[in-house]
Amino acid sequence: MSKTTKIAIPEWQGRVSTVFDFASKLLLIEIDGQKEMSRTGNLLSDEPMAQRAARLKNLGANVLICGAISRPLAFMIRELGVEVLPYVSGCIDEVLNAYLAGQLTEQRFSMPGCWAGARKGFRGRHRGRGRCRRE
Amino acid sequence: MLNRVRSKERDVILDSITEGVFTVDSNWRITSFNRAAEEITGIPRAKVLGQKCSDILRADVCETECALRETMGTGKPIINKAVHIVDARGERHAIAISTAVLKDESGKVIGGVETFRDMSLVEELRKEIEGRWSCEDIISQNHRMQRLFSVLPNIAESDCTVLIESESGTGKELLARAIHNLSFRKDKPFVAVSCGALPDTLLESELFGYKAGAFTDAKKDKPGRFAIAEGGTIFLDEIGDVSAAVQVRLLRVLQERTYEPLGAVSSVNADVRVITATNKKLSDLVAQGIFREDLYYRINIMRLELPPLRERKEDIPLLVNNFISRFNRLRNKNISCVTDEVLATLLSYDYRGNVRELENIIEHCFVLCQGEIIEQKHLPASFQTTVDADYHDIKKAVTLEEMEKIFITNALKQNNGNRTGAAKQLGIHKSTLFRKLKSLNIEP
Repeated sequence: MSKTTKIAIPEWQGRVSTVFDFASKLLLIEIDGQKEMSRTGNLLSDEPMAQRAARLKNLGANVLICGAISRPLAFMIRELGVEVLPYVSGCIDEVLNAYLAGQLTEQRFSMPGCWAGARKGFRGRHRGRGRCRRE
Repeated sequence: MLNRVRSKERDVILDSITEGVFTVDSNWRITSFNRAAEEITGIPRAKVLGQKCSDILRADVCETECALRETMGTGKPIINKAVHIVDARGERHAIAISTAVLKDESGKVIGGVETFRDMSLVEELRKEIEGRWSCEDIISQNHRMQRLFSVLPNIAESDCTVLIESESGTGKELLARAIHNLSFRKDKPFVAVSCGALPDTLLESELFGYKAGAFTDAKKDKPGRFAIAEGGTIFLDEIGDVSAAVQVRLLRVLQERTYEPLGAVSSVNADVRVITATNKKLSDLVAQGIFREDLYYRINIMRLELPPLRERKEDIPLLVNNFISRFNRLRNKNISCVTDEVLATLLSYDYRGNVRELENIIEHCFVLCQGEIIEQKHLPASFQTTVDADYHDIKKAVTLEEMEKIFITNALKQNNGNRTGAAKQLGIHKSTLFRKLKSLNIEP
């Protein structure tokens, strides 16, 4: 039985937004296996990080793929049970396909300079096979 | 040859200043990055050259109101714009940026230059003065604390009465301020009252105010703390110490949202959120008949508990670093760290006074330390006699499991999460480290 996953990616002009703490738009992409079931845009307001973390959880996200993120915000989101894959850069669709193909660790998707333990979610994971198919 | 010499001269000059400076080409790719820019952003020069500036500076304005874009478009410099960044250490900073265009000999815009300086000290002082703390200011990687932070927005939004039951010095007021600053009342006053510090007779007039003539010295009306907190939040610390008479009046405020100042003939409406705190177990006081049961149920709608420091010793290294950074800024010093011996001593201590006690200890060290590293001799006198007496017993006071967890966590941090490097540093086999990570429930 395929498992539905909701992937949250902050977005700016078709690319992963540089810093999740300051992002103003969040894409929520629902994936069933390798198929994209839906993609919705959500506006994020200028809010304290605890509220941003709670908003992410309330939107039902299982995974957050983002650019730079502050340490406290990453901790809060992880504590809420949302997997955080930070310090990712690139076009949204390329990043999504790379995630599904287990290729998100490639250099071309990595931002330089991150804090210790930030990218722990990337280790030893397979993210599925093939490319995402949209409904 | 002359150009190379001039370029080197320019680099030496730029590397000697405390402001961060970087230049970009017309494609926003970084072409130069000075030493101060490396320090403030936490990213080495070698990793930034050729990268997009927004991927390196990571400021809140990069996407929406990029200062460099505006300057390169209009030709007009921007001076001292306040922005926030997230550096490579995962910390948010306030910085002030200024921008200017770079032109070639023909006057064509070929890029831009941005300078920035760290405004953290100013921000820190502003927080101290205004009390604008948030849960971002409560330092902890402890699971219980993180779970608490994750529900704070919901608690803040609900506007319900909150009871914080925790030992002294655990940050009850900080938590109350964080709740206030997350709520819709954040632009209204936050008023803190230490109920245990005032005698009962004074507490009543302090809380509810009085009218002129209410008693001998009451020459004019004085608003109470509830009036001052109108629209905002009142924080009643040491609520377990209030007398029966004040308990009755507080119950009325919570039930009917009104109160009477002393000597008043009519009631005043109270639109105030109440957050209470105590270092006692209120349910025990209720059982003993010292605290009213009906008031207890009114204030116990949302009960929060901050764990004592001895139950979250993994936060001690983080807190020590935070206090060092804070005192460095406030006292204009340059202390970098504590020795391993000092850290071991701090980890083995009991902290009856919790975080406040640890803060006082570090502040004491700051007074005595004239160098860059805090050593054993800088600790308060009580630590010296215990260490001289029996150093090994002090180390034994912490369980082996706690010590292992802390040293493994620190080793992983120092090796950027690399387990092979951490195992090497700890002098253990990698498989041993993996087993310990699992048994100690450490997330690498």
